[in-house]
Amino acid sequence: MAALRQIAFYGKGGIGKSTTSQNTLASMAFYFDKNIMIVGCDPKADSTRLILHEKAQNTILQLAAEMGTVEDLELSDALKPGAGIFAPENPHGWIQCTESGGPEPGVGCAGRGVITAINFLEEEGAYEAEGLDFVSYDVLGDVVCGGFAMPIREGKAQEIYIVMSGEMMAMYAANNISKGILKYANTGGVRLAGLICNARMTDFEYDLAWALARDLGTHMIHFVPRNNIVQRAEIRRMTVVEYSPKADQALEYKELARKIIANDFKVIPTPLEMDDLEALIMKYGLEEEADIDNIGKSEVAA
Amino acid sequence: MFILGFHFPASMGNTVPDEAVVAKLDEAKVDVSGINEIKMLTEYHGQKEELSYSKKDTFMFKALAHYIQTAETDYMIYTNRYQISELSKRLDSDEETMALCKKFDSMAHFKITAA
Repeated sequence: MAALRQIAFYGKGGIGKSTTSQNTLASMAFYFDKNIMIVGCDPKADSTRLILHEKAQNTILQLAAEMGTVEDLELSDALKPGAGIFAPENPHGWIQCTESGGPEPGVGCAGRGVITAINFLEEEGAYEAEGLDFVSYDVLGDVVCGGFAMPIREGKAQEIYIVMSGEMMAMYAANNISKGILKYANTGGVRLAGLICNARMTDFEYDLAWALARDLGTHMIHFVPRNNIVQRAEIRRMTVVEYSPKADQALEYKELARKIIANDFKVIPTPLEMDDLEALIMKYGLEEEADIDNIGKSEVAA
Repeated sequence: MFILGFHFPASMGNTVPDEAVVAKLDEAKVDVSGINEIKMLTEYHGQKEELSYSKKDTFMFKALAHYIQTAETDYMIYTNRYQISELSKRLDSDEETMALCKKFDSMAHFKITAA
């Protein structure tokens, strides 16, 4: 039996982490028969919506609050089998889902939920499920918060995929997350396994993402184009893989899934200084005819 | 590291030499003898364009022929298309191929078939 692989998807809020991760993991299960446990580490608790065909009804933190303490919680209360083609009785791989949850907005520490969830899943033996091939963490935003760094801090997730785009803040976050990985690489063994460009379809986006990956010492494992079918599937609370398995976009996710399964390129990243990151964006982000002297000038003035 | 769908071992780092990619294509034994022309249909924001390419002695032709022979459908995966363009710009030099590279670098959606 192959060893359990623990992966995590990080990236700036709103970049499409949950959509990308669920579609990719769905492809790993459906096309490549991999058995997966998804641990949603976002207070929004929407990391498993497309696999369950509904928003997770009960997060670990909610259930623990209802029952008094997390010790009173059973694994079956918090870990739910995927719906449709991801259910355990289907012939392909299965997916199980749980969400850490978080406090009410503006109250308490959101990262605390991640710590509680992982400790609970470990104590209840969730990682020892028969046939489990992958555990995937879907983690919000930055790693400034120690709670969100939990999956990489204590050697839980060994390989990190950063979902980014050619937009400046997404690249800034990717670089910052790389700093977090670097910080814990020697103590926990975590490695950067690649950038996934969830494209906004902006000018020179492939070149920009590729150059950032190169400078971080990693690779851009896949460029996922924008396609409205993703939104159409989401409205039905489904992944594209399940909604339309022969669609062009499903092939994109299938290819990304194939690469993640085969990926052996895991590195300690070399994060960029802010000036170098800006220089990279200036080099690739400007339009062909634009000139560096035009910075700060309006379209009319330049 | 993955280029044109080929897996290159981690020991090669993140800068795989072009020759290594060409060697992989050679190992794949791409048979271009039955392909005289490659047809492509592009679409971007509703604008459609038909393209034809027949320069058989180029890296571009070989890479496209390999793609056609191994892909499940006529849809071109964006990453592969960008990588073919990137390599072709270094390995080919004629105007027709460079013009196709420029089209490949766009955000358009491509379908590809052999004729």
